[in-house]
Amino acid sequence: MPGKDEAFLKRLLATFRVEAAEHIAAISSGLIEIEKSSSPEQHAEVIERLFREAHSMKGAARTVNLVAIESLCQSLESVLSALKRKEIAPARELLDLLHRSVNVIEGLLSNVGKEDAPSGMEMIRDFVRELDEAVKTSPRQEAKESGERVAEQQPEARTPAVSPVTAETMRVSKQRLDSILLRTEELLTAKQAAGQRASELREIREVISSIRKGWTKNLLDMRAIERASKKRTAVSSATDLRLNKLLSFLESGSNDISVLYDAVIRSGKAAESDNRSIAAMVDGLLDEVKTASLLPFSYLLEIMPKIIRDLSRDRGKEAELTIKGGEIEIDRRVLDEIRGPLIHLVRNSIDHGIEKPEERAAKKKPLAGAVKIDVTLKEGKSVEVLVSDDGAGIDTALIRNAAVKAGLLSKKEADTMDDRKLLPLIFRSGLTTSPIITDISGRGLGLAIVQERVEKLGGDISCETAEGKGTMFRILLPLTLATFRGVHVRVDDRHCIIPLTGLDRTVRVRRDQINTVENRETISVEGRAVPLVSLGTVLELPRKKKAGPGPVYMQAAVLGSGEQRIAFRVDDIVSEQEVLVKDLGSQLVRVRNVSGATVLGTGRVVPVLNVSDLLKSAVRLSPGAEARITAEEAPAERKSVLVVEDSITARTLLKNILAAAGYDVQTAVDGVDAFTALKTGKFDIVISDIEMPRMNGLDLTAKIRSDAQLAEVPVVLVTALESREDRERGVEVGANAYIVKSSFDQSNLLEVIKRLI
Amino acid sequence: MNETGAKKPAVDWAEVRKRVEVTRLKIEQGWAPGLEERKKILRQRAAALAKEPERIIEEEKIEVIEFFLTHERYGIESSYVREVYPLKDLTPVPCTPPFVLGIINVRGRILSVTDLKKFFNLPEKGLGDLNKVLILSSDDMEFGILADSIAGVRTVPVAGLQKSLPTLTGVGEEYLKGVAGDGLIVLDAGRILSDKAIIVNEEV
Repeated sequence: MPGKDEAFLKRLLATFRVEAAEHIAAISSGLIEIEKSSSPEQHAEVIERLFREAHSMKGAARTVNLVAIESLCQSLESVLSALKRKEIAPARELLDLLHRSVNVIEGLLSNVGKEDAPSGMEMIRDFVRELDEAVKTSPRQEAKESGERVAEQQPEARTPAVSPVTAETMRVSKQRLDSILLRTEELLTAKQAAGQRASELREIREVISSIRKGWTKNLLDMRAIERASKKRTAVSSATDLRLNKLLSFLESGSNDISVLYDAVIRSGKAAESDNRSIAAMVDGLLDEVKTASLLPFSYLLEIMPKIIRDLSRDRGKEAELTIKGGEIEIDRRVLDEIRGPLIHLVRNSIDHGIEKPEERAAKKKPLAGAVKIDVTLKEGKSVEVLVSDDGAGIDTALIRNAAVKAGLLSKKEADTMDDRKLLPLIFRSGLTTSPIITDISGRGLGLAIVQERVEKLGGDISCETAEGKGTMFRILLPLTLATFRGVHVRVDDRHCIIPLTGLDRTVRVRRDQINTVENRETISVEGRAVPLVSLGTVLELPRKKKAGPGPVYMQAAVLGSGEQRIAFRVDDIVSEQEVLVKDLGSQLVRVRNVSGATVLGTGRVVPVLNVSDLLKSAVRLSPGAEARITAEEAPAERKSVLVVEDSITARTLLKNILAAAGYDVQTAVDGVDAFTALKTGKFDIVISDIEMPRMNGLDLTAKIRSDAQLAEVPVVLVTALESREDRERGVEVGANAYIVKSSFDQSNLLEVIKRLI
Repeated sequence: MNETGAKKPAVDWAEVRKRVEVTRLKIEQGWAPGLEERKKILRQRAAALAKEPERIIEEEKIEVIEFFLTHERYGIESSYVREVYPLKDLTPVPCTPPFVLGIINVRGRILSVTDLKKFFNLPEKGLGDLNKVLILSSDDMEFGILADSIAGVRTVPVAGLQKSLPTLTGVGEEYLKGVAGDGLIVLDAGRILSDKAIIVNEEV
């Protein structure tokens, strides 16, 4: 039972937190309204509203037994009540005190629900006293008492923390909407799987179709033979009978194949139409669900006035914020993601942009700086957010210095670069123009993070500035988080997805058109030289020697934009497709170059790459690193090893050990697979497990020994079987070495291999 | 009663008859204990009822899942094991430390798989089948650890766990619950799950 009560209380507290946050937001914005306007009528109206908000919050706090918040609200209420009856005036100091009290409540709120949270009575004591003092300084002493009385007369019915359900709208918690959205997005996997099945059926149909052609042709030949044999009487009746049997077998087979072919065509058609309707349903549903989680921008912007107010006061500056377009609706996930970046930009405006009042006076600007946030709906389902200020602007000379200091530019580059090209550097991490590091800015990370966030959403950010006149940041955001699209590429046997948002293009280049400049390879893209790196090297994948000189053409994905493009060489560009990006689980919080993973229609899990990381990693590669590696491995003829093992992990482990030791490794999953590989490739040694499906290691060894071409290839058996009989059987079939898994040890294996080849 | 008779070579009929007779007489008299006798019986009953039941001192036990990892036996508290999952397709993730073997798809969710041997920096000795994943989870952490096979579930008395045998197990003492009497190395799942070192969080 206590568990049940606890759970109930927890739920209640959660509801309270939501409700209280709304009250706090309303009170904060109300206080700012009072500060801004000077008309007494408007004051009265706002104060009335604030009074009700404070009162409701008090009641709610009482129901969940949060005494500190309750008593602070009580005092707030008294002050507001005194204000309401015009017993005291809304002086600046008083409003400040109210603001600070609200901050305290916010602080207390963040502790709610935490165990061992202080009751908060300590924190509020001074505030309660100050607030009560404020009321007492009014002409009439009894104000407080009467205020309280009025407060108590308010109907309590307003207080319960239950969300009202009206006929047209209802409240659904964010978590629930998120989980609906998530589940809907999961359906993309089903959609892709349906597509995959349809295409598999198409392939089967092709195979059967070619079998049918062959069969029909042979049947015709057979009939011709039969006719010919009837003419020749010399044929014995026995042969004739056999011929007849064969003919009727072929005929009935032909019928069966036709039936099968028709069935596959029917299934294929059904699968295609299922695929189409599933795709339409999933896309439609996803659209609807996304629309259901649109929120107006004001939801995010209502915190801004307070941030501006608090910060400008703290910095001894004055600023006015105007917001336009708060009613424009946008995907809540976009709002959530953009919150941090927007706050950062607004803070930057105050911290770096807006000058101190003296300076502004000297420049003949209005004392209060203007900070504007304009939200406009653009064509093509995107939203433009402009954050601008009329402050000092960005000093480009400072950027030049900072860029040189941060090592982003050489002194010469810095001096010659024009402003338009220079300005994007402010988004590079490590660049700061602030001479001192403050708690909010100066570390040179801010704008880099802002850009990363915006780009992660598939948006774009740019900046314009005019010295002395102000700065404007332009953010372009998608209206809804579009379904992620990516290009599926392959490097060796690794598959990856490159997000389409960071992809400039994919190219196919003749090998002899790769230029080498100062040890760096470049290719020409639309007449511009773009550096070329191997995706495998950037991803730190184990290198493999390519058999032969490689194909004449190589493929590459060109990532980045403008001057910062880099081409990443891949072995294959498989397809472009919709991708549902999932995170990598709680252990892998952030992995270099990898932003998540996705499940393909085939069920294969594939990493999704992080384009901005890749670009950074590629730049970090020491010049010529690739060339050096190629030079190193060229002289030594690498021996090739075939690893046959049915367990994927053991296979991977063996492969890594051998690859690290400098062998060229290929793998096979069982004896049959291995034998096929042996017949088609050339291997210096075979390392095989014994227990495997289809063909085991002993049979494989026997088969190798009996094959004319392969008889000489050394075979090492690695196995869990360790009885003497097993060992003898291994020797019997012709294995060269026998390593028992339990005594397995890297050096042991490597030594054995060295001895054999 | 039959037993006493049975011990003798033949049935001692005289004895049987005598006891039957005694019983018969008692029944006929209508057996009724005297006042003292009754009080005594009642007191005995009261005393028996009043006696506190002997407290069975439960020794603290933990339930562990026993598994093999390259021919060594490990145990891990079952309360941290969400499920055992067959290792089918493991996708390696580039740019991760060696102890992260890769990621798997568990019913639509991506989970990372850790090789504890690599994490503990144990020498690579032996080669297992490695075809099971034990999914460990706590409130804010979840990942799989690799195992060759699962031996079963058993309870281990906490008192019987011997602490600090790092030379014997090679596993750092901080990750150990202890070593059971029969050599089972019991890992401290809570500690491993909350270890910052197992989290990958790297910027370029």
